[in-house]
Formats: sequence, C-alpha cells, structure tokens
Amino acid sequence: MSVPRARLLSLMKAQCELFSTTYNPEGIRTGNKILRQRLKGPSLAAYYPKKMYKFREFQEEFGQLELLVEDDKEVARLEHVAALKARGKGAPKKKSGPPDPTSFKKKK
Amino acid sequence: MSMFRAKKLDIGCFTNIKIIRDHSKRKAFEAAEPERQALRYIIRNTTLPARTRAIAQLQLTQMHCYTRPTQIRNRCVMGGKSRGVLRAFKMTRFNFRMEALAGNLPGVKKASW
Repeated sequence: MSVPRARLLSLMKAQCELFSTTYNPEGIRTGNKILRQRLKGPSLAAYYPKKMYKFREFQEEFGQLELLVEDDKEVARLEHVAALKARGKGAPKKKSGPPDPTSFKKKK
Repeated sequence: MSMFRAKKLDIGCFTNIKIIRDHSKRKAFEAAEPERQALRYIIRNTTLPARTRAIAQLQLTQMHCYTRPTQIRNRCVMGGKSRGVLRAFKMTRFNFRMEALAGNLPGVKKASW
C-alpha cells in the first residue's frame, strides 16, 4: 500500500507546526544544527579550580565587620622573630639610600 | 599570548606556564564561542550567497588560534601533565593512585577480589 507523496508532505508540515520545527522537505542544509548546539565554553572554562580565599582577604572581609580574626601561624612567626631580635640574632637592617660608589672600585 | 592571560592569577590548583596557557585558551574560547558559532552557521547554511559564506570561512580561519576549541587540552590539576589524565578526576594516573590510596577521593576504593 503506497501513500501519495503530497499526503506525506502535508503530514510532515502538520508535524512541524505541532512541534514547532522547521519544515524542510527537500532536506536543504540550513546550518540549523549549529544553532541547536549548546555553548560549551562555560563548562570548558571551569576545568581548573577557582582561586581560593587567602587568609589575609578573609581577615579583611571580617575586619570590615569589626570582627577580629587572628592568623595563628602569623602570630607564631612574629613571636619567633621578636625572640630572635631580643637575643640579637635578628635579620640585619635594610640599607637606606644608594650604595657608596667607592665600594665598587677594584682593590689594587 | 599574554593578551589572553588574566592580569591576576585566577586558578587555585597546581600552576605552571602550561596550565596558565591552557586556562587562558579556555577563557579565550569561551569569549569567542558565540562569534565562532555564528560564523559556522553562515558557512553551513547553503541558502546564503556563496560570497557571504566564503567571507565567513575566511573570517573563521583568521581568528586567533587561542579561540579554537582544539587548542584546549585537559591537564592534570595536581602536576600539570597532559598525558594519562583521567577525565573524571582531572588527574594523571599516578596522582590519581596516590590520592586514591591516601583516601582523598570519596568513593574510590582499591579493587580486590
């Protein structure tokens, strides 16, 4: 049993109207499949984990709310430095100003 | 290509230049994707005049290589290696083994039967 083509086409047209797709009986390439594709940029760009908060940024955020957050490691480090300085074993002072030009001369 | 690179480091995993480069490629592709898809649509659409389609082809090929999706390569977030990376864990097989044995990957267990 064969169905006339015109009838099939009218069925196709009704189908397209019903499901709101494009009626394209000749199968012309309109490139619509490109428009149907989802954008994959956002998922590709999210591959590497985002940067986490630094402790200092955390502190600053809470500082605005006048809440005090202590960095235990930093406090311990400062105590250690203070102890070294008290024993006279601290880091030397930074030089101020340009170096003395005579110090670059070669010894004879 | 430093113009695609973020001015401030915005990734929180292991970082080396290859990872930064790959990340900037991903960002560049994300930014250029609508334009690329529009050009690809024009190229594929046979109802448009041939000249328009040829121009679109040229424009697509002349876009910067960083905006191409084929430039993107999955790299290990623990060590930056590009080969033997397990997609589901974003890690190379060795790093995956180490993390799994250390129990850092929920649900992963060494098989034994």
